[in-house]
Parts: sequence; structure tokens; C-alpha cells
Amino acid sequence: MSVSILGSRESGQNIRDTNVRAVQAVANIVKSSLGPNGLDKMLVDEIGDVVISNDGATILRSLEVQHPAAKVLVELSRLQDQEVGDGTTSVVIVAAELLKRANDLVKYKIHPTTIIAGYRLAMKESIQYIKDYLSVKTETLGKDAILNVAKTSLNSKLIGAESDHFANMIVNCVEAVGIVGPNKDVKYPIKSIKVLKCIGLSAKESVHLNGFALMTGRTAQGMPTSIKNARIACLDFNLNKFKLQMGIQVLVNDAKNLEKIRIRELEITKERIQKVLKAGANVVLVTKAIDDFALKYFVEAGAIAVRRVDKKDIRKIAKQCGAEVLITLMNNEGEEVFNESSLGSAEEVTEERLGDNDFIFIKGMKKSSSQTLILRGANEFMLDETERSVHDAICVVKRVLESKSVVVGGGAVETALSIYLDSFARTLGSKEQLAISEFAESLLVIPKTLAINAAQDACDLLAKMKMYHAASQSSSEEKKQEYKYVGLDLANGKVRNNLKAGVLEPTISKIKSLKFATEAAISILRIDDLIELAPKPEKERDGH
Amino acid sequence: MIPGNSAPVIVLNTNTQTDDGKRAQLANIRASRAVADIIRTTLGPKSMLKMLLDPMGGIVMTNDGNAILREIDVKHPAAKSMIELSRTQDDEVGDGTTSVIILAGELMTVSEPFFTMKIHPIIIVSSYFKAMDHALKVAEKIAREISVENHEEIADVIHSCIGTKFSSRWGSLIVDLAVQAVKAVFINKNGKKEVDIKRYAKVEKIPGGNLEDSRVLNGVMFNKDVTHPKMRRFIQNPRIMLLDCPLEYKKAESMTNVEMTKEEDFAEILRQEEEEVCKLCQAIMKFNPDIVITEKGVSDIAQHFLLKQNISVIRRIRKTDNNRIARVSGATIVNRPEELQESDIGTKCKRFEIKLVGDEYYTFMEECEEPKACSILLRGGTKDVLNEIERNLQDAMSVARNIILDPKLVPGGGAVEMHVATELTKIANSIEGIEQWPFLAAATAFEVIPRTLAQNCGCNVIRIVTELRSKHAEESKDAPYWGIDGNEGKLADMRVIKIWEPLVVKKQTFKTAVESAAMLLRIDNVVSGISKKEKKQGPAGNIEDAEI
Repeated sequence: MSVSILGSRESGQNIRDTNVRAVQAVANIVKSSLGPNGLDKMLVDEIGDVVISNDGATILRSLEVQHPAAKVLVELSRLQDQEVGDGTTSVVIVAAELLKRANDLVKYKIHPTTIIAGYRLAMKESIQYIKDYLSVKTETLGKDAILNVAKTSLNSKLIGAESDHFANMIVNCVEAVGIVGPNKDVKYPIKSIKVLKCIGLSAKESVHLNGFALMTGRTAQGMPTSIKNARIACLDFNLNKFKLQMGIQVLVNDAKNLEKIRIRELEITKERIQKVLKAGANVVLVTKAIDDFALKYFVEAGAIAVRRVDKKDIRKIAKQCGAEVLITLMNNEGEEVFNESSLGSAEEVTEERLGDNDFIFIKGMKKSSSQTLILRGANEFMLDETERSVHDAICVVKRVLESKSVVVGGGAVETALSIYLDSFARTLGSKEQLAISEFAESLLVIPKTLAINAAQDACDLLAKMKMYHAASQSSSEEKKQEYKYVGLDLANGKVRNNLKAGVLEPTISKIKSLKFATEAAISILRIDDLIELAPKPEKERDGH
Repeated sequence: MIPGNSAPVIVLNTNTQTDDGKRAQLANIRASRAVADIIRTTLGPKSMLKMLLDPMGGIVMTNDGNAILREIDVKHPAAKSMIELSRTQDDEVGDGTTSVIILAGELMTVSEPFFTMKIHPIIIVSSYFKAMDHALKVAEKIAREISVENHEEIADVIHSCIGTKFSSRWGSLIVDLAVQAVKAVFINKNGKKEVDIKRYAKVEKIPGGNLEDSRVLNGVMFNKDVTHPKMRRFIQNPRIMLLDCPLEYKKAESMTNVEMTKEEDFAEILRQEEEEVCKLCQAIMKFNPDIVITEKGVSDIAQHFLLKQNISVIRRIRKTDNNRIARVSGATIVNRPEELQESDIGTKCKRFEIKLVGDEYYTFMEECEEPKACSILLRGGTKDVLNEIERNLQDAMSVARNIILDPKLVPGGGAVEMHVATELTKIANSIEGIEQWPFLAAATAFEVIPRTLAQNCGCNVIRIVTELRSKHAEESKDAPYWGIDGNEGKLADMRVIKIWEPLVVKKQTFKTAVESAAMLLRIDNVVSGISKKEKKQGPAGNIEDAEI
């Protein structure tokens, strides 16, 4: 009799079966959303809020998965979302398949560690193979390649019908934010792309703006709606009546002085504003409040003042228009001054009305690398989903522009790897051989699912693809080399050269998703015991 | 879903309810159809009103699609998403809120057979989008441009849009109000057109009187009286001063304590406070205004000083009202009286008058030079009627705004929809593959608008719609203009009976309807009731019973 535990315990083959089933269930949920013919899920929470999504990470995050092993998978898709931004569905499907096949091997009495070793080896080999043979440099493909990458990512989403429009927008947008780093490599900080949502019109009317947009109106109606040659001041302090810190009390002996204090309070803010305006500022952005009494000075000076600008936004604006975000006007001598050098400049600042909201646009900034996408759509759910899809595409484009290498999509890479690993496995004489061939077989789940989602004959298509890839790997003929780009054409239910058809994905996304999926499968595979502790009994007993 | 025969593994929260595959798709279709059915009868000139009781016991009577759906509490997520549509339409163009729901509902309904035929939803969606592109082109083609200056034509358009509403009984009254109001707030600044109805055209509803007494003021009005009964209530050519500060003693922001040792000190402080108010008033009096209007309070003592100078004071008006007054009178809103300038005084308003309307006092500021804002005074029997008329007026003003911003018109009365349907059917023949089916279905879906119009006016639906279809199939030049005269229940040339609608509204309707239908069709799994609380109901119960 073993030491008893407070709680339940499951071990050995039992727990492995349970885990595999849980993981399988999660994968089944997202399976139907994979690929250009994947469908969406509608998730309703208890208040009745609706999320409509095609993004694996979003779906799983909203689902409140309870099983611990299944949670690993949810984490996995979140990780993929953070690291790559796209491919969140496929990573889950591959991991689940790897696990299922590993479990079958364990049933044949192969020790899990052997399988793990085999999987690790297979993963390393496949990554090497992708890098050496399957990836294509974007230089050889031209600008269209990058557009195609964006389109491939968008095609599986709600806005797939407008993928041309969005792909163009996104590629222009990401290219515009490029910054040349110290080592001459170009970085694309996608944080400089601001995505705003505005209900109304249709998805096709979404626009790309070279500049920055704020989703607020100007503070007073008397201010102009448009200013050319704007000089921008960014202030990070209150323009309210001056107020001493909490806890400071002023003791007044003479009643006349009381009035003076009051007037002084107003004067301090007024002086500050006038200093800023005097330096030539005609657009003033403030992160905090502006008192009503202060607005008059801006109106009279014909300046636009915007209050409660998000701190993150103001920093970005300041960086790009060359302004300084001032926390105080104090200088070293203790006097309050506002230098002209703290002002930034932009060609134009305007307020425009889209739908029912006011937007402030800052266009033509000095170091302009900031881009704004304004998404339009029929309703909120649609806009949310559009935003997620656009985010995925932006991430993908960024990856491709930075790594400059792509692989062919539509199941081509997976099939090629599967064929390669299969033959690689035969060169090994140990038990790992079995694990590697199972790994090879697991990868095929991607083309299979793609075909099933498109309601095509998966077996037939897979056989054709395998044939082409085997031919390309076994012979060195020029013509047959082309066959390694053969992937699925889901609309017509055929196979085709997907490199020519422009179905492309970033190499790094494929590599990372392989890595993550294998690691996740391994970590679940290693489990052979699940101990669930019962919650501690309540200390307070009801009185009997 | 779960293989094996041992005890099921609980992966998801057990409280959730999942609908997947065909069940979810069909439920979505039914839900959206149910929403469309609710408001189907409110389309067209022979439309009926809906009476809604809200949980508080209040009544809303309306035939405005958005207003109806806003009040309805639906449970099914797809129905919720449909309701959002009419809000979008309202925000963007302000009219056509009913037709967008009907069209979206129909697009969903016609897709139902394809699900049983096992056509992939993606194919349906992509052909819907194609149909939308073509529909927009067709609508664009038959649109005609009018001149913004042409008052009559604009009035005609608004007339046809408002013709479907409750207020159409009063003929052109609402139309005239809307045109006048929009003209008043229209600003054309170096080619940039601005029509801000929300901020500068305020509707004031006063129950009582006749609807015919409603008018657009050449200025503004608001529900306030002078603070002191002895102040003047009628002033010709007033000098107006606008403030947004209180005319009372303001405390300092910082913590200030006064230590008083002698009794005189106390009196001194009181005197000081009085003196401050006095100083404020003096600063005001220097400019010799006739009216002082402030957003904040006015103390008794300030009233006293100002009354002595024969200045009328109005206090605690809203910021938005103050902005409007600033626009009509040419005054600047000032915060510190000691910083007043002559230019801050407004003189453009020629007549200030406080009148007793019903049993409340209202301030009228009229006869302004070039007012860039206005108030619309609505009178009418009861509050509910007034509310409905206000909604109609808002729609009318939106239509007027749309025309001024984009003066393109398409024939109404279902003519444009029928034309789109005809053209799409022609195009459908040239489409290869399975996509042709959904495309054709989308084409027929557009016919729902003329069909519903015919239904609502009680004529023989099948005969009249068929007749209309054949009219449109003719290759003549007049074909696109044939529509249904909703009053007579006959076919008519829309050019003759002058039923026009703005192109922007129609375009927005098509886009919103198709996009949302596409979104709902792509769903193959509905998981509801996420989170731990008690089990939620799935689809709203009544949806199952709903039928066309």
C-alpha cells in the first residue's frame, strides 16, 4: 500500500491516454478554421458579448480550457501568436498529431524517452532541411512575393475577399516604418503602426494613412479644424489651475492675500500656456486635463489643443515630429521656460470626421515613419476580427521583410519534410527510426486538414503531392527540382506549383511553429503521473 | 469528438454549450431572419409603427429600424450582430436602417438551401462579395447628380425618404424644416464641406400646440429664464457676453487656511469675498453688455449688481448650447471676466426674447446674421409623438446632409434594387462553376426590398413583383426607373412620382448587409456561456417558431 494522497492520482498509460484525448479535443476545435477554406467560430460569453474569430490563439484563449494538458496547447498557440503572430492554428494541430502518434508508439512498448529523442532529431533535421532546400530568398521573387505573403495570411480570414486591397495597404504600411539599424539591417517596428477601428462603410474602404491619428476631437469647438505647418508641443502635465501638493496648507493671516493666492493660481497656468504659444506652438497635445478657462487662450491664438492624449501615443508623436515630451517647464535655474527647440513640426494637423467619431490626423511629420490603418466595417465584431487578421498579416510581412526568406505554403513544406524524414529514418538503425517516421507522418496532418476543410479528396491529393515531392528529392534533374514547390490548390481540388501561384509563408514562421509544436508534444509526453490535490478542507466546521 | 470508450475527459468548461456544423449555421440563419421579420412591416409608405415597452415602463412608438432594434433585447449572438448593423447604418448615413436589416436577413435566408446542398460556405461568401461589387457598380451607373443649390430637388428626395414615416401626414413640413436646418449649418470652407447636425442643429421639443407651429429658428433657443424676475425679457440688438465661469466667489485650488484672531478679521474676509464678486461684475459692466450668459452659477450679489446695470443674466446653460449661441451671435466664450475684449462681445443676434411656452419659459435668440447653428422648435400633441417626429427629423436631416455632401441620387421605391437584381442575374450567366448558384441567389435576395414594399401596401405581391421584373428586363432606357408606388400599390416611373434616394445610403446598405451576412455565414461553431456562472440559455426561444 502506497502512501495515500489527499486527492486523485492517475498514472502510466492511463494518464497518457487522457492527455492525448484532451489535446486531441482541443485540436479538433480549431481544426475547421485552418486554411483558406476554414470557417470561423462564434464565441459568446456569459454576458452575451460575442467574439467571431478565425484566429486559433483567440479562439483557444476565449474557450476557458480546463484540462491541464490541453492548457499546454492553449499556451502554445499564445506563444506562437507572440513570437510569430501567425500560424497559431497549425501549431496546435501539429502538436496534437505528434502526441497522438507518440502515444501509439508507447503502446508498442517503446519508451517515451526514445520517442522524445527521435522527435528531437527529426525536428532538427527538418529545420535544417527547410533552411537548406525549401526556403526561397525574397530577392529572387520580387516585390510581389511580399504581397503574396500578406495575401496568403489574409486569405484564410474574414477579409479574404478583399485580400488584394488589404495586402497592398499592409505591405506599404510595414515598408514605410522600416528603420535601418546600425548593422545596415532594416528593422520593422510594427508598434509604429497604429490600427484604428471605426464602424461604418465597408471593409474595402479601410484606408492607410501616412501619419498618426488620434481618436479624439479637439478640445474646444472654437479651435480651427486644420493647421498647415504645424508646430507641435507635447506636454505631460496638467493645464488646470495650479494646485499645491496634497498636505501642504497655506496659512493666511491677511484676508487680502487669500484673493492673491487665487489669482496667482490662474496666472501660473496662463503664463505657462502663453510661454508655449509664444514659442510658436500651434498644436498642443496634453496627456492630462486642460481646464476650461485655459481653452480661451488657445482659441484666441488659433491653436489646436488636444487633451487626454494617451501617453504611449504622445511619446510616439514626439519621437517622430522631433518634439520633446515635457514633464515640466522648469529649467535648471528654477525658472519656467519653453524653448522653441522642444517643438516638433508636421506639415498638417487636421480634424476629420469618420463615421460618428472625430479623428485628429497628424500628417507629414519630420521623421515620419508612423503609419495608421483605419479599418472600417459593418459592425463591431467584424472590426475586431479584421483587426486581428490585419495584425497577423502585419506580423507576417514584418517577418518576411526582416528575414528575407519564404517557404511555399499550401502543405508543400510539410509534404516535402515528410518524404525527406521518411527516407532519413531509414538511415538509422535504432528505435528512433520509428519515432522519426511517425513524426514524418504527423506533419501530413496539415495538408490533410486543408483538403478536408475545402471538401476535397484528401487521400487523392496527398498521394499526388507525395509523388511529386518524392520525385524532386530523388532526382537532380532541373525540371524535377521544381516539384518541391508543389502544394495544394484548394479552390480547384488539384495540386500545382505554389511558388508560381504565390502561396507563400515566412520561413521563420514555419520553423518556429515546428519547434514549438515538438517541444509542446514532448513536454506532455514526458508526463506519466497526474496528481490532483483535493482542496484543503475548510477549517471552520459548522457547529455540530 | 473524443475517441475511446473510457470515461470522457473534461477539457472545456462543462457549462458551455456548443453548437457546431450545420446546426450552428442554420441557427444563425434563423436568428437573422427572425430579426428581419420583426421590422419587415415598417418598410415603405404604408408602414406600421411598433410600440415598445421598456423595462422601466416607458413607451417608444416608432417605425425607425434602429430605434426599434435598439430597444429589443435579443439573446442569440447572430441576432445581436444583426442589430449592430442598423446602428452602423444610423451612424454612417442616418437612413435606411430598416432596409439594411431586411436585406441582410434575406441574404442569409437564400443561402440556406446551399447548406443542405453542401456547398462550401467560403464559396457562398466569395460569390456574395462578387455580387456586392457588381451591385455597387450598377447602382453607380444609374445614379444621377443634382445641383446642391436646387432647393426643390433636395426637398423631393427628403420627401420620398420621409414619406415612409409617421410624420408624412403633415406633408412637406418636416422636409422644409430639415432643408432649412441643414442649409443653416452647412459650411463650405475652401472646398471642405462640413455639415455638423449633431452639434449645431438642436431639436427642442415642447409638447402642446400644433405641429404646424414647428419651425426652424433663425438662431437658437433653450429652456432657461433670466435669473431675476426684474431683468429685461425682450431686447432688440443686444450685446451678448458668453462666460463659462461662475459669477460667485471662487475658492482657491490649493489648501488655504485663514487664521483669524480678531473678530474684525472675519468681517474683513466676508467683505473681501463680496468685493471680489463686485470686481467681476465691474469687469463685465465695462463692456456694457445687455445679456450675460454663463455655464455656471451666479450668486445673488452678482445678480444684484448686474440688475442695477439693467443687464439680463442667464445661468447654468449647457456647454453645447453655449457653443451654439457663440456661433449665432459671433461672441467668444470667455472664462475670466477681467480678460474680456471688445471682440468677445457678440452683436450678430438682433432679437432676444423670453417667452412663456406651455408653462415654461424659453429663451429665444433670433434674427441672426448668417447663423451657423440653429434650433428646431417642434410642437405637437404628446411627448411620444414628438419623440417620433424628432427621429423622423433626424433622418430627414441626415438625408439632406448626405445629398449636400454627395449629390447623387438613385430611384427609390425598390427600383434600384430590382435593377440590381436584374443586372446581377444577367452577369450570373457568365460565371463559371458552383459560384453561379450563390451569385444568382444574391441577385434574387435584392428583390426582397420591392417585394416587402408590395407586401406592406397590401397588393398582389406575386403579380406586381413579376410585372416589375419584366419591366426591368426590357432593354429600354426607362427600365431602371420602374419601381413600386407604395401608396397606390402600382408600378410607376420613379422619375414621374419623384421618389429618389441618396446613392450613399443605398451603397452603404448594400455593403453593410453583404459584409455582415458573409461574416455570419463563415461561422461553423458557436460556443456560448463561457465562464463559470450558471448555465446560459442558448438561442432565444422564440427564434425557433419564427417564420416569414
